[in-house]
Amino acid sequence: MISIDPQMEAALQTFFEESRDLLQDMESALLFMEESGADPERINAVFRAAHTIKGSAGLFGLEEVVRFTHCLENLLDRIRAGSTDLTPSRITLLLSCGDHIAEYLDKISVGAALDERFLAEDLRLLTALTEALGTTLPAPMSASVLKSEARPGPEVIPPGSVKTGNWHISLRFGVDTFRDGMDPLSFLRYLEQIGEIVGLVTLTDSLPPLAQMDAESCYLGFEISFKSDADKSQIADVFDFVKDSSTVHILPAHSQIGAYLQLIQQLPEADQHLGEILVSVGSLTEEELQKALALQDVGNQDGQHRPLGAILIAQKMVQEPVVQGALEKQQQQREQQVAERQMLRVRAADLDHLVNLVGELVIASAANSLFAMQDGAEDRVESAAHVARLVEEIRDGALHLRMIDVAEVFQRFPRVVRDMARTLGKDIRLEISGEGTELDKSMAEKITDPLMHLVRNAMDHGIESAERRRALGKPVQGCINLHACHDAGGIIIEVRDDGGGLNREKILNKAMEKGLITSEQTLGDREIYALIFAPGFSTADQVSDISGRGVGMDVVRQNIEAIRGSIEIHSTPDVGSTMRIRLPLTLSIIDGFLVKLATDTFVIPAESVEECLEYPERQGVPGYMELRDQPLPLLHLAGVFRIDGEAGKRRNVIVVRHGQHRVGMVVGAILGNQQTVIKPLGKLFDQVPGISAVTILGNGDVAPILDISALIHGHVSAKHIH
Amino acid sequence: MAKTILVVDDSASLRQVVGIALKGAGYEVIEACDGVDGLAKLGSAAKVHLIVSDVNMPNMDGITFVKEVKRKAEYKFTPIIMLTTEAEEEKKLQGQAAGAKAWVVKPFQPQQMLAAVGKLILP
Repeated sequence: MISIDPQMEAALQTFFEESRDLLQDMESALLFMEESGADPERINAVFRAAHTIKGSAGLFGLEEVVRFTHCLENLLDRIRAGSTDLTPSRITLLLSCGDHIAEYLDKISVGAALDERFLAEDLRLLTALTEALGTTLPAPMSASVLKSEARPGPEVIPPGSVKTGNWHISLRFGVDTFRDGMDPLSFLRYLEQIGEIVGLVTLTDSLPPLAQMDAESCYLGFEISFKSDADKSQIADVFDFVKDSSTVHILPAHSQIGAYLQLIQQLPEADQHLGEILVSVGSLTEEELQKALALQDVGNQDGQHRPLGAILIAQKMVQEPVVQGALEKQQQQREQQVAERQMLRVRAADLDHLVNLVGELVIASAANSLFAMQDGAEDRVESAAHVARLVEEIRDGALHLRMIDVAEVFQRFPRVVRDMARTLGKDIRLEISGEGTELDKSMAEKITDPLMHLVRNAMDHGIESAERRRALGKPVQGCINLHACHDAGGIIIEVRDDGGGLNREKILNKAMEKGLITSEQTLGDREIYALIFAPGFSTADQVSDISGRGVGMDVVRQNIEAIRGSIEIHSTPDVGSTMRIRLPLTLSIIDGFLVKLATDTFVIPAESVEECLEYPERQGVPGYMELRDQPLPLLHLAGVFRIDGEAGKRRNVIVVRHGQHRVGMVVGAILGNQQTVIKPLGKLFDQVPGISAVTILGNGDVAPILDISALIHGHVSAKHIH
Repeated sequence: MAKTILVVDDSASLRQVVGIALKGAGYEVIEACDGVDGLAKLGSAAKVHLIVSDVNMPNMDGITFVKEVKRKAEYKFTPIIMLTTEAEEEKKLQGQAAGAKAWVVKPFQPQQMLAAVGKLILP
């Protein structure tokens, strides 16, 4: 969209990622200051975020982002300088601005158009920013304004201009030029990029005698006749970096003789001597010089002699104490921050590739061990065992690389809770614990939405109104707790609230009303609570703006199950509820349940297996079996996958569950549990129904991993049609 | 031999774009993410001919960084370009006082960076 250059495209991706991180930092800093008051360190962090985004956006030509962040930066700069206060309403404004920039970037990254709602928000925020800046806002100083201010041009107007069509440039480099890291010659070389140096005389007049000469000082001056089509600002621009420390005069082609006179007067060299140099460079003819010198007396009588450098030097003197104070402060800050984190950014795709290879290595190592065992040679068995151990360590290490702190997921929540508490008019605080718990990055991305929904739900429906809390003798401020920890080879994330708890009766009534259960059914607490995950279930008396977003708890459950997690609810009336999400440690290794269909091996994800039964050869209703007085639909996998061969003397039924649905899968022999590495299906096979991925067994055989959700839903819906 | 430029900025995307432009013009580029990193890279590099540094960075800001660089005998005469914004006129002056006499105002286009570098050193 902006550039087709792949290098720039990659840089643009970096920009999007980095901006998201910065906006997150900005938000955290703002929320912190809202709680604990403004502090310079954090204000600067917020400023830096806006500043960096603006700088980079400019590089990519994202003008609209630059324009917006520019206004934001102006306000932040004034807050930083202390001339504008960071009031709560301004924090809210700044937070909205952060959101707005994030949306800008999202839209740009997918190439979406800026719709009306978005533009209206844009206008609203810009107006609010301008208002916050007040009317005293000085017009943004552009570089060009500064340049023209700093260089008063020659202003004498006597008639008669010089013959030459070339520019005349007069340079006296400052004594510190070398120390400033500048090389006079490099400017002259650069000058040649925009024109031709026709004549040049080097002035060595200010060179002191050798004994007094400082080798690090610059004593050089140049008079240059320069032929170019460039305009004055372009030429002046060449000497931009030395204009403060050096004397630069630029006279356009056919300047008035008076202008040359003024130049001669302003420069330190003797007038006659300098005049002759101008003639030798070719900028003045002999006659013109004489004319100029004749004009000299008039100028002297006026007494208009403006030492150019003096003003600038005076300005520098004023700056000195300010500079010192600021530098000392920064020195102190730096000393505090020397302990630096060393981090490496790694491309996610590279990491996936590595993890994939390590997966292969695990399999190869298993095969190696197997052959060594068959071989029986003790040395080989031992060395194979050693390799296997190392490979396992490498696997753990590689998987660990994909892990991030759950803090990265949790960090979005302070803002969500704050904003929503305001919308709801409730006083709710957020507590976060166990944020150091690690989980797979891809899982972190997928768990955020379900968590968000659960937190919103807990705030909206869980936490009671202030009056009710007071009546119950609870603290008026409600509390949402996000907690994470490791547990038995998995991760647990909990959303707790100290609200009213789930209302059993309400859920039961609603479920009956919706036809989810019948009045005869007797259900335990957990079964009742699980009903809220049924599609279309909502107990809120009124669908509120906040949690009634057309997404129910059923979607939460589906999302969690899609990453092979599960969710359960614990609730006590008037004390609160806990939503406990259990996730696997990683998405790349699965606890598989291996079964046989004729000669082929299939893998059923172990977390969906409820129990194993012997296949009943007699069934009351074909296609169903009875399981504890309940009908259980049966699914013959051999039929689904059209596997021929002997029906198998001993068939088994594996009871699997997905969501609310249970199915008995009819398989051959059961081989048991085994950890398997998930290998994605190639493009060619990713449409195969009923199979989500494959794994490679220790003996090198490929075993498909069953897609339980697809199998159950395909099956269940087919039965419904009948 | 190509001249080496050290680019110090906390924005990875800025470093990337500036790097693409400078390398395209024939310079070698070393990147650093803040002042501390910049000093470390200066210490380990064979020779750096020019430094481009942002002002506002975490850990060690550009002005402190420039002061530190100027204290090193071997980099006393190395040109330094400061990246400032128009909102940071004071910072620019502080940077100049510290020894960074050249500057580029953010946001800038890659060719503006090339022009600034071109005034100070050739590839």
